[in-house]
Amino acid sequence: MVLIARHDLKMSAGKLAVQCSHAAVSCTMNARKTNPRLVERWRNAGARKICLRVDDLASLQRLAGQAQTAGLVTYLVKDAGHTEVPPGTVTVLGIGPAPRRAIDALVSELKPY
Amino acid sequence: MGFRSFLHRITAPSPSGEPLNGPCKMVCVVNQGLKMGKGKIAAQVGHGAVMATMEAGAKKPMNLEQWLATGQKKVCLKGRDAEHLLELEKQAKAAGVLTTLVHDAGHTQIPSGSLTVLALGPEMEAALEEITGELKLL
Repeated sequence: MVLIARHDLKMSAGKLAVQCSHAAVSCTMNARKTNPRLVERWRNAGARKICLRVDDLASLQRLAGQAQTAGLVTYLVKDAGHTEVPPGTVTVLGIGPAPRRAIDALVSELKPY
Repeated sequence: MGFRSFLHRITAPSPSGEPLNGPCKMVCVVNQGLKMGKGKIAAQVGHGAVMATMEAGAKKPMNLEQWLATGQKKVCLKGRDAEHLLELEKQAKAAGVLTTLVHDAGHTQIPSGSLTVLALGPEMEAALEEITGELKLL
C-alpha cells in the first residue's frame, strides 16, 4: 500500500500521520469487500505501507485516475478542516493493497515523504 | 434446535455488546524517543490504525461501526519513550480499552523491533481522555 501526501500543504507530522491513517483504514476496509484474499496476504506479509509525496493536487488526482484505470483500490482523503487546512482539502491518496509491481508501475518516480 | 438452545438464544446477551452513544475516536501515541521522519511516522501510525481497526472488528464491532459512521476521528499524540507507551498501554487495558502496539520491522531509519506507536480505541472520547488527556498533540 502506498500513501501519497501533498507536500505543498506543509502539514505537521501529526496531521500527516492522521491523514495517512485515514487513507490506510479506508483502503483496507474497501479492499476487504472487493478482494479479501489480497488483504489477508498483505497483512500476513507485514502490511507494508510506504509514504510518498507529490507537489500539488493535480498530480494527486492524476495518480488517482491512473490507479483506478489499473483496477487498484484507491481512496482520496478530504480533510474535515478542523485544523491546519481549509475544509474539503484533498490531503492524501491511498493506493492498495495491491501487488508490488502494479503499484511500482505508477509511483516509482515519486520521492519518499 | 432443542428447547434449551432456543431459550439460550433469546435470552443470551448479544455478542456485539452495548451500542455506544456519544463520539468515538482513536488515539495514536507516537514514540518520540526514536528519531523518525514525517513519512516514517505516518506509515507507522497507518499500521497502528489498520491493526486497531481489525482488532475492533473482531472484539468490539459496535465501537468500530460507531467510529466509522462518525468520520473515523483520529488523534496523534506524543509519547516520551517505549516505557511511556507501555505504561499507557497498561492503563488502557485496565480501563477495558483496546490497545495495539506497533513494532517496526526496521527496514529503514530505526533498529528492527523498536516500539514505534501505541494505538488506543476506537473508544468513547471520555474514556480515552482519562488515559491520554495530558499528552501533547504531535
